[in-house]
Amino acid sequence: MIEYITIDRLLPVVFREEKEESRIAGSEVWLKHLDIAKPQSYLVYAESGTGKSSLCAYLYGNRRDYDGKILFDGEDVGTYTPEKWSRLRREALAYLPQQLSLFPELTAIDNVLLKNRLTDYSSEADIRLMFQQLAIDNRADVEAGRLSIGQQQRVAIIRALVQPFDFLLLDEPVSHLDARNNEVVAQMIAAEARKRGASIIATSVGNHLSISDFKMLRL
Amino acid sequence: MKPSNPVNRLLRKNISVGQIAGYAIANFVGLAILLTALQFYRDTTAAENCADDSFISRDYMIISKHVSDVNIFKGKASAFTDDDIAELRAKPWVKNVGVFTPSRFHVNGAVDFAGRGMSTHLFFESIPDEFFDVRPEGWSFDPADTSAIIPIIISRDYLALYNFGFAASRGMPQLSEQLIGSVPLTILISGNGKREYRTGKIVGFSSRLNTIAVPEAFMQWANAEFGDSTEPATVSRLIVETNDPGNPAIATYFDENGIEVSGEKLNQGRAAYFLSIVSAVVIVIGLVICALAFFILMLSISLLLQKNKDKIHDLLMLGYTPRQVGGYYIRMVAKLNGAILLSAIVVAVVASFLWKGLFGSLGLATTGCFVTIVVGIALMALVTAVNIMAIRRNVNRNFFNS
Repeated sequence: MIEYITIDRLLPVVFREEKEESRIAGSEVWLKHLDIAKPQSYLVYAESGTGKSSLCAYLYGNRRDYDGKILFDGEDVGTYTPEKWSRLRREALAYLPQQLSLFPELTAIDNVLLKNRLTDYSSEADIRLMFQQLAIDNRADVEAGRLSIGQQQRVAIIRALVQPFDFLLLDEPVSHLDARNNEVVAQMIAAEARKRGASIIATSVGNHLSISDFKMLRL
Repeated sequence: MKPSNPVNRLLRKNISVGQIAGYAIANFVGLAILLTALQFYRDTTAAENCADDSFISRDYMIISKHVSDVNIFKGKASAFTDDDIAELRAKPWVKNVGVFTPSRFHVNGAVDFAGRGMSTHLFFESIPDEFFDVRPEGWSFDPADTSAIIPIIISRDYLALYNFGFAASRGMPQLSEQLIGSVPLTILISGNGKREYRTGKIVGFSSRLNTIAVPEAFMQWANAEFGDSTEPATVSRLIVETNDPGNPAIATYFDENGIEVSGEKLNQGRAAYFLSIVSAVVIVIGLVICALAFFILMLSISLLLQKNKDKIHDLLMLGYTPRQVGGYYIRMVAKLNGAILLSAIVVAVVASFLWKGLFGSLGLATTGCFVTIVVGIALMALVTAVNIMAIRRNVNRNFFNS
């Protein structure tokens, strides 16, 4: 369980030389002190190339090439072992990577079940219902590699939701979705976050996830 | 059991059946050779160590000087002088030299056997105790005790000669070692103007010594008491313990000095030496094959994990632990190695049973397969442990992207 995340003077190593530039100096995240507490949700918006995906990867324990500190409930995550990160990824952190990372040889539903079997959070019936809500139920048993990118994005969103979490990290969740689908996805995500009393941390370069009570942060 | 675990289905990708089969066959062959050779080595050396059997008695040789027509006329030429013994002792391949002390008195043995009395002239010899291949109970003699039994060890060949030669052709009963040991012999010792009756008993049979042996204590006492003091003590036979039975210098030296080795002990010694070298070479070949197979597997594992790097990383991103992801490969390697070990043990055990019959017909005992099996298990456990460590390290390396 994670109650709040503290970001303390965080900066990707690649930006070290650009500290003085207005892009970094004007950021509301990099090199700042920031507390992200449940259940407040955040929308981190920026131009591309400012490190959105890096931020998500840092928070998810996938990358460690940063200066400064990330603290979960006051604890420095730099000390976490792979086993600890694995546990957090099953119980406290959900993540939708920008590149989706579906397994193309598995069917859409198997991709979701692969995640679900770690915690048995949802039943297969529930999952199929979510497919239906996102209008991809007819594609559930098709190999993920044969789906359109928009369909894949929705499968990956469902996969991110079939687990307990305190923080939901969404890296460009609706970049490939039209306005109508954005709406449906946003409703589902908001409902799931509400159910868990969790925070959503979404990034966006332009096509924002349609949730109203986001706190906006400029990266 | 779930019909098809999707994790296994993902991790199974890129497994090269050819590589795995290549490893399995190579390691099986290597391990089977290794274990079979080890079992063979242990069986042959066990036969050697077995106290009663001297099939491969490579450590002891009984030598005497060649008796030729010329020697006979030269009198004592077939005896070893003190210089001869000293020279022999100085040879690098000699560990110890023992002198056969012959009896210098008359011995007559009588036995009352199944109602028939038999009596014969005998001779005794003695050698230091450490050269005996048997250590029977009651192998001691106290001259002060006039009722003391004289313990006797005879060559097992004598018994065989009687049982299979004499008894068989004359319709006499064959005798067992136990039966002979239970029959008391009446020994008449005479010489130097004295005669004395004593009771003797055959307490053991030697495969190494072709003589009728008594304890040295008895021989010293009897030679002093009954010996012909005018006749000088001569040494005609020596027992040589060597630590290098295959050394060609031994045969050369014996040839040059007209020394004969009784029986075929020297050749047997060479055979044993040769056999142990062959076993060792085969064991080393087995080890080399195993080592090569091991490297094939290590290479296959790292190649496989490299090919599946992205899948492993993505599974870790979903919250699978490195232990769960590595577990699939660890189980695969463990099962594979277990099957290889089992097959190799079966081959070694079956082979040992095949030659056990052959050894048995030579009257040799063999050892059990326990040590060989333990060695196989230990070796495979080591290989598997290194494999598991490599898998864990490889998977863990995929955990963080940077």
